[in-house]
Amino acid sequence: MIGHDHGGPAGYGQPGASTGSTYVPPPAPSPFPQPAPQPSAKPRTSLAVALEQSRYRLMVTAAVVTTVFTAISVKLAMATLLAGGGEPRQHVALEVGDTTTNRADITDRNGNLLATSLVTQSLYADPKLVSRPEEAAQKLVGALPDLDYKDVLGKLSGDRRFVWLKRNLTPKQQAAVHRLGIPGVAFEREERRFYPAGPLTSHIVGFTGIDNNGLAGMEQGFNKRLTEEPGTPLQLSIDLRLQHVLKKELAATVQEFSAIGAAGIVFDVRNGEVLSMVSLPDFDPQDPTGLNPDTLFNRATLGVYEMGSTFKIFNSALAFDTGKIRVSDMFDAAHPVKIGRFTINDYHNLHRALTVAEVFQHSSNLGSVRMVQQVGVAAQKAFMTKMGFTKPTGLELPESGWPLVPNPWREVNSYTISFGHGISVSPMHTVAAAASVINGGLFHKPTLLKRQPDGEVPTEQVVSRQTSDMMRRMFRFVVTEGTGKSAEVKGYVVGGKTGTADKQKGKHYQKNSRMSSFLGAFPMNDPRYIVYVLVDEPQATAKTYGYATGGWVAAPAVGRIVKQIGPLLNVPVVDENTPEILNSTYLNAAGSTNWQQSLPPVTAPPPAKGSTVASFPTQTKPR
Amino acid sequence: MKGKTWLFWGGLIAAAGGVLFQTSYDVQDLEEKLAGLNRKIILEQESIQVLKAEWSYLNDPTKLEQMAQAYLTLQPTEPRQYLAMDMIPMRPADAVPPPAQALPGKALPGAPLPPMVRAPGTGNSQLAAARVPAAPNNNAAAGIVPVSAQVGLAKPLPMEKALERAPVVVPASLPSGAALADPSRANRIKPAALVPGSARAPTEKSAAPVAPAAAGKLAPNAPTARPTELASRPIPAPAPAPKVAAAAPAAQQPYQPKPTDSLGLLVARLGANR
Repeated sequence: MIGHDHGGPAGYGQPGASTGSTYVPPPAPSPFPQPAPQPSAKPRTSLAVALEQSRYRLMVTAAVVTTVFTAISVKLAMATLLAGGGEPRQHVALEVGDTTTNRADITDRNGNLLATSLVTQSLYADPKLVSRPEEAAQKLVGALPDLDYKDVLGKLSGDRRFVWLKRNLTPKQQAAVHRLGIPGVAFEREERRFYPAGPLTSHIVGFTGIDNNGLAGMEQGFNKRLTEEPGTPLQLSIDLRLQHVLKKELAATVQEFSAIGAAGIVFDVRNGEVLSMVSLPDFDPQDPTGLNPDTLFNRATLGVYEMGSTFKIFNSALAFDTGKIRVSDMFDAAHPVKIGRFTINDYHNLHRALTVAEVFQHSSNLGSVRMVQQVGVAAQKAFMTKMGFTKPTGLELPESGWPLVPNPWREVNSYTISFGHGISVSPMHTVAAAASVINGGLFHKPTLLKRQPDGEVPTEQVVSRQTSDMMRRMFRFVVTEGTGKSAEVKGYVVGGKTGTADKQKGKHYQKNSRMSSFLGAFPMNDPRYIVYVLVDEPQATAKTYGYATGGWVAAPAVGRIVKQIGPLLNVPVVDENTPEILNSTYLNAAGSTNWQQSLPPVTAPPPAKGSTVASFPTQTKPR
Repeated sequence: MKGKTWLFWGGLIAAAGGVLFQTSYDVQDLEEKLAGLNRKIILEQESIQVLKAEWSYLNDPTKLEQMAQAYLTLQPTEPRQYLAMDMIPMRPADAVPPPAQALPGKALPGAPLPPMVRAPGTGNSQLAAARVPAAPNNNAAAGIVPVSAQVGLAKPLPMEKALERAPVVVPASLPSGAALADPSRANRIKPAALVPGSARAPTEKSAAPVAPAAAGKLAPNAPTARPTELASRPIPAPAPAPKVAAAAPAAQQPYQPKPTDSLGLLVARLGANR
């Protein structure tokens, strides 16, 4: 345009190039007349070159500017429109239910805390900032008496920039240190797992390591759930009060009979909840490694034992359920059973034939063997599988033992299993299976989590209702007239079955180390709870006349437990001798359930109690 | 014109800028406040968690049992002490005899205690005696002094508890049995004025043979203002004066639940008076 204004030759300037700010000088008057094509050719060449050059430069500049500005615009748009309004930080009020910790609480069924995470402050120091280490150390030891003065002084006068002085202070200690106002000493927020119930629930709740990862019990089994939902506590089916009663009575029993351990379970037969579970000896979850590692062993779920006569529950249920045997059928219990090299005998041989009720009442091994002879090996194996004795219980604890099941399952195995030897299961197996035998035949998988009141309970019908009804009477019969008399509690209609098993050490059964147990249930007219007590290696005392069998050791403990937990569980007290109760619980030795006849027992009165040991002659090797 | 437009827009921009500036600072303030509140909430939550843990720790049944054994005289409960609600019979009208109104000097010192009452320690009478002078009117309280004078009144303990709870509420000028029977006092209330004749007639009839002194003057069951109101308090001064007179001899012999007395039988069966 400028070129045009100055009236330059129209052919020199190109309209496209003149858009820039190029100055095209007017051609100087030449002193020499030059040929017409030359002046036009020569300036045209130089000018064209210059114009070309500047044109390219301009284009490059424009391109760069465009690129940069486009990039800026895009970034601007992204920052403002796409990045959530570009607020640097958003402040949100905390939710009420929020928790500040990273691991959920564990509570019992009533909401009492069993495990919780507490925020604690740990004390550390930067020695560079501590001006007078002696004074600071003296003050710190004054506030925290468990610190060692020399140790603290050494730490405070060192060269490092960071030393821990004490981890996990209590709030009181923190306040005390805070009040000292020592420069260079500060607190660091940490979390610590805390178990208010202490050893009472140690085998159930378990414990965590230093980094708050579950290492045992529910802490391990539900590690993921506890860390993923820190806000909602994990509610167990355990009742702390029952736990206390159970532990107290077990501890008393262990002490009285100088036993090496014990296990106890309180079980809700209606929905499979484990209301209480104790294994002695137990440990302090705050310091699980400080004691004997044996204390970490959970006898109630991890330990598998030969249950002894308690298994006659399942033998009888099997016999009734096949329909081949009725309660009044007679079985020979006078002559020992010989199979192969083995001879099976009774602890107290009554030298006569017994009804099924009497076999159960006197806990006769011979009668049990005769019963299973009639039922058959295959039926027994199928039944025991149905009862869950061939796999772990499915309890949520990582400490769940695998049962020891004979393989192959031969005739001799079926004989010994009929009275509880030759198969090893955990107490939890026994309790869950016994619950299904008396609750109407419904097997519930045992659980440690509280069931929702309206939730569906997974069930499986394993025995018929009639079998279950008869088993209730048999349970009751053992307590009224059998080996479990000392478990009786007036008003609670207790029933049960004693069990005594000789322990196997190596290849031999020991004569004087046994597992004495009692599986009690109440109220037998409408069973609601099972109380199971197992005592490991009880020693007979003078008070028990030299017996250390289930009827003498475990049954009284179950009686005492039922007496205390009955009111806590809201079980109504009834009169055992009213017709309604007798109608559903009565059984006599002849196998009659008609209480109105009140027949005199067809046999001689039962012998002294405690005669429940299922024993082999010592010279035999049962396996 | 052009300048004015510029001025207008310039002013608008400046105003908007000022408002934005102010708002931004307000928001910053609020954010700081919120952050402070959140910190406080976290602190409170942490202390609540600590308190919860401590509560659970202190509620450990093992500890509680040890402490109960050490400091309380309570025993573990037994099944026989529990009863379903529907097993408790309804209270019959005359099941529980009215508390014996012992006139001063009339009741025996050794009169046995009714059920549900623990044997009073020796300190009880002293306590009561110490408390009675605190009542505003000693003379008027003479009617209830037998409690402190250890005349073996039917219910010393509830009385003491009532005094303990609300010593002021218990009127010193309580109309005792004697006071109720006092014609001059009874004269003040005119049953005829308060009770319609139809309602009054039967009570008068029933009361007449038992307590002639009070008959005609006082309708015991009448909804009178003061005497009944006072007597309905847990004080051994029941409203119906005739009944009081009738029950006075009953207090002199050991309390035996009658066959009709289902509640009393129940209490005896539960062994609460042992």
